[in-house]
Amino acid sequence: MSDVSLRSRFRLGDMRARQWVLLVRIVAGGAIAFFALSTPGFTSPLSINSLLNAISFIGCVAVGMTFITITGNIMSLALGATVSASALVFLASLSLGVYPAFLVAVLFGIVITAVQGALVGYIRANPLLVSIAGLSLLIGGAALATGGQRIYPGGEGLQVFKGHVAGIPVETLYFFATVLIGQFVLSWTRIGREMIMVGSNLRAAIAAGINTAKTVTVAYVLAGACSAVSGVLLAARYGSGDMELGLGYDYTAIAAVLVGGTAIQGGSGSVMRTLIGVTVIAIIATVLLLRGFSQQWQYLITGLIVLAVIMLHTIGERR
Amino acid sequence: MIRSLLLNPTARPFTVMAGSIVVLAVIDRGTGFFFSIGTIFSVMQLFATFSLVALGLGLSILIREFDLSVAGIVGLAGCIAVMTGATNPWLGLLLGVGAGLLSGLIQGFIMTRLNLSSVGVTLGGLLTLQGMTYVLTDNKTIGYPNIAVALELNAPIGGLISVRSAACLAVFVLAALMMTYTHIGRDVIATGSDRRAARIAGLNTDRVVIGVFAASGAFSALGGVLLSYSLSAASPVALADVLATAAAAAIVGGVSVVGGRGSPMGIAAGVLTLCILRSGLSAIGVEPHVHDLVTGSILIAIAFLDAPELFRRVTSWRLARAGRNASPGESP
Repeated sequence: MSDVSLRSRFRLGDMRARQWVLLVRIVAGGAIAFFALSTPGFTSPLSINSLLNAISFIGCVAVGMTFITITGNIMSLALGATVSASALVFLASLSLGVYPAFLVAVLFGIVITAVQGALVGYIRANPLLVSIAGLSLLIGGAALATGGQRIYPGGEGLQVFKGHVAGIPVETLYFFATVLIGQFVLSWTRIGREMIMVGSNLRAAIAAGINTAKTVTVAYVLAGACSAVSGVLLAARYGSGDMELGLGYDYTAIAAVLVGGTAIQGGSGSVMRTLIGVTVIAIIATVLLLRGFSQQWQYLITGLIVLAVIMLHTIGERR
Repeated sequence: MIRSLLLNPTARPFTVMAGSIVVLAVIDRGTGFFFSIGTIFSVMQLFATFSLVALGLGLSILIREFDLSVAGIVGLAGCIAVMTGATNPWLGLLLGVGAGLLSGLIQGFIMTRLNLSSVGVTLGGLLTLQGMTYVLTDNKTIGYPNIAVALELNAPIGGLISVRSAACLAVFVLAALMMTYTHIGRDVIATGSDRRAARIAGLNTDRVVIGVFAASGAFSALGGVLLSYSLSAASPVALADVLATAAAAAIVGGVSVVGGRGSPMGIAAGVLTLCILRSGLSAIGVEPHVHDLVTGSILIAIAFLDAPELFRRVTSWRLARAGRNASPGESP
């Protein structure tokens, strides 16, 4: 009897917390929409265009990061360097033609993160440690390969990855394709469901007979592929590249993942949430810019929002 | 013997350090570039730059947490000190370290009160602290007019260490004494080894967690203040790679990511190893980025050796191979 009442009381508390979190989300969403729409110039084509561009580059990395976070491996500190390095590989192999170069870059990104994923998956090496090692190796390797020089395109065809189709930037189309494929993999394929299970309870996943090592490796492979796409888009945008290209993208990406509401401890989240997170951060940045705040304030406010969201999210998820 | 020296985490930092000195000396082959007073001084200057952050981060790893915010604190404390300490450097030092202490306290409080993971909270903390640094400095490099302080901090003592590196060494000695001889050290190790058991044994683990994060903030802040003073400048992007280097140093220094293992002296050895590699490699004329490759390789080797499933995988692989090799007639 007492057991039942205790449990129902817990349920009730749980429900209240959930409703409260939902309320805060709606209010926050409404506030952001209100501030955005009431800001003069926000709906101008120029502003929308720059918003879409800002979303695209970081968005691809954030989608990749989502897979790592969902499988319970927190984050990778090497994705920013993977972005830069695949941009360099893309530019250097442009002489093969633009689409083969794209493939080479994506394969490169996949190999780089697959090795890290295999270490994390097969022998359960610490994910943060492995990613820091990957970061050092990428920076050192890139400096060795390029001699610290900027890389310029070795062929033609960069315009395939920039410009507009039906008024929408090409970068954004590639980003939306990444989001759709990512969400499809996560929700509709077996490996995607296994990723969520591995993240929510590793032991249960092993007991259920899931090949957890393979699942984690695949999550890292997807992260590498997404980062490489971002690298290719950045390389096309700027027409040349160095290791600074993706600097800091790892932190912005994990911020977007968390603001979207994917749980830092893994097991819960989606690519669509990450899309929302990226959009919210970009809208706030645009609004601040249009209202005359400098870039510095964007950094600070993004940080505070991430902190608030993490606290809010765990209050809602607490059992 | 070698196996135990490499796998025993208490001895490993010193083995790795000795190993890298030997390797560098062999490559150097007595040309004297590596074994020079200049190299030792530059190693110690590098040590001063990274050691305190590594100590802070290492202590947080020791209790099975991960303080990402150290990278933000280094920058913020340096900027605060440079902006407030022009006339009185001690005031700048106090405010800078105070800011680090406060940020650690707040983050530790949030974590323990809301039962949150440190990675999430300190990630938010890192982004917030970086934002604060950008706002404070208006995204510019701030010069420190009091050049005398810089000269004094970098003045050599006996040709080998500077006042700055001596101060860092002193902090390490104090931390080591506290960890070895006071109940604080025992409490920290207990919290890191098995938090639930420590709590059941009557230890207020929340207080230990808050204390470790406060210490981590204060140490990193002190490192940032000393660095900014000695460079006579602070900028919001000055130390982007500080987190990777600090984590590498702590891990090479024998702090275990599964918690409960590690010591300040080990961390010091870890930092020294990385600094010896960095300035040693440049002293013998190797290109500067090779140390990134070496650091990365050491890290991946340690990640590999420390992985909890490594031995199970190796054993099952061996068994599978033995089973395949043995023909049915041979088996007893």
